[in-house]
Amino acid sequence: MKTRFEVCPAADLGPGERTIADLDGLSVGVFNVDGDYHALKNDCPHQRAPLCEGSLTGLTTADSPGEFEYERDGEIVRCPWHGWEFEVTTGESVFNPHRVKAKTFETSVEDSDDPETVETSEPASAKAGRLDFSTGTTADDADTEEKATTEDDRYGVALAGEEPPVDTYDVDVEEGVVVVYL
Amino acid sequence: MAERAHPGFDGAGADGELTLIDADVHQRWADESEIVQYLPERYRDDGLVLPTLLYRNPGGYFKDDEFTDDGRTPGSDLEKIVDDHLDRYGIDYAMFTGNSWLNLGAVPNRDYAGAVAEAYNRWLIEECLSVDERFLGSIFVPVRDPERGAELIREYGEFPQVRQVMLPGGSEVPYGRPQYWPIYDAAQEQNLAVAVHPFSEGHGVSNPPTGAGHPNNYIEWHTLLGTIFMGQLASMITEGVFVEYPELRVSFIEGGYGWVPHFMWRMDKNWKGLRSQVPWLEKPPSEYIREQVWFASQPVEEPERPEHHSHLMEMVHAEETLIFASDYPHWDGDSPVWGLPPMDDDLERAVRYENAQRLWDLPADPGDLA
Repeated sequence: MKTRFEVCPAADLGPGERTIADLDGLSVGVFNVDGDYHALKNDCPHQRAPLCEGSLTGLTTADSPGEFEYERDGEIVRCPWHGWEFEVTTGESVFNPHRVKAKTFETSVEDSDDPETVETSEPASAKAGRLDFSTGTTADDADTEEKATTEDDRYGVALAGEEPPVDTYDVDVEEGVVVVYL
Repeated sequence: MAERAHPGFDGAGADGELTLIDADVHQRWADESEIVQYLPERYRDDGLVLPTLLYRNPGGYFKDDEFTDDGRTPGSDLEKIVDDHLDRYGIDYAMFTGNSWLNLGAVPNRDYAGAVAEAYNRWLIEECLSVDERFLGSIFVPVRDPERGAELIREYGEFPQVRQVMLPGGSEVPYGRPQYWPIYDAAQEQNLAVAVHPFSEGHGVSNPPTGAGHPNNYIEWHTLLGTIFMGQLASMITEGVFVEYPELRVSFIEGGYGWVPHFMWRMDKNWKGLRSQVPWLEKPPSEYIREQVWFASQPVEEPERPEHHSHLMEMVHAEETLIFASDYPHWDGDSPVWGLPPMDDDLERAVRYENAQRLWDLPADPGDLA
């Protein structure tokens, strides 16, 4: 069964934006591309650079030598080390989409299990302790081994207080949280 | 978190052994005033006037994750080099190769180039090497004024952490010419290696970066860096540099090594029939390479089939000739953990530190450098 992680309030991650989250030791980049959320492992398959911290760019194409088209702006992430281009939406590399891929994860926008999370990202981050919304994550954190967790940890309620105040906040889907399933 | 080596390699860091020597780490100034303060008064108002690279890299030239928190250029914060690179990867020695934009071989005025080289050397010794005993230095020379270069080598080469003299890959005439020999004479006398590293190819007054002419794009420029090295190495061997200076040690940094087997085979083959043109050579050209020349691993060759890299290691005599380089913090750098393809532990030890230890005559403990 996949583990559910609440990453951040959907309202905090607008189109064209991204965040790097530490999900129980696994560094994951979460991107909003034109309103859809996509998650990639922050670990380039080449030399394990923090892929998701690279620049967001578009795709240059050509119908014939010397001609340039620039399309799909914001849908390509360029590895911060060697410049390899990957499609944010699929994890596939541009130069060899069938064999060179970054791992992707399922995402959705859902009601939060912990309604305080949706109020504002920073207190939630501090409280949850394992959600890092900063983009300062380095390859150090790109650990492929998922740490053992308790059931509570996995569902993001262990550090949320003795009795999460579930009745204090009315949430609909548009105001929900971005969720990644590992 | 230290990452000493990739899983499966247990040959590093044993008792009294080194772990890793990095042959190419680019430190730079945060602001050019750091260098300008060392210029003679007559040039201080000019500041740094240097030819720049006109080939554009769409991803930039740096590891993007190495900019400092306040946005300074990677390599300009020496403590960050210690934290993010030396400590993180257990690096015993890191050879500083300076700012690639210095381009002294492409500066038209020889006196100014000499003044900038000296300013760089003073900054290197006084402000860079003092930060950590694991830092090693490459001193710069104005290659178009070799006598002045030799003076600088004798003046600054005494400093214990200085182990190398840097020549730019691009030059006005190839490096075997006797006009350069004062540089080699001084380097051998000071027990310093000489390194050739891409800097000035196609900039300023240097030659086009390929024998075919000026490329159109950076991909073409970067792919062909090894071809300039072939020209420099052929010149040094055939003109007799390694005969005249039998203790001289030379390294070629960042030009690759996949071309080296072809180069050795072709030159040995030609030597059999054309030896009479170079009668001072006392043995096949490839033997001079194996005894006096080293090649840095970065950018690591990535053949279509991984086993071809093992074949290449054998063909290039990597156990004698190859040294690890990361090229930190540049975009095309190799990870100290994941950059090198798989190889057996004896060979990996040679590549990770034994060969570089010979090249720069380094003690096992940086504290013993003197």
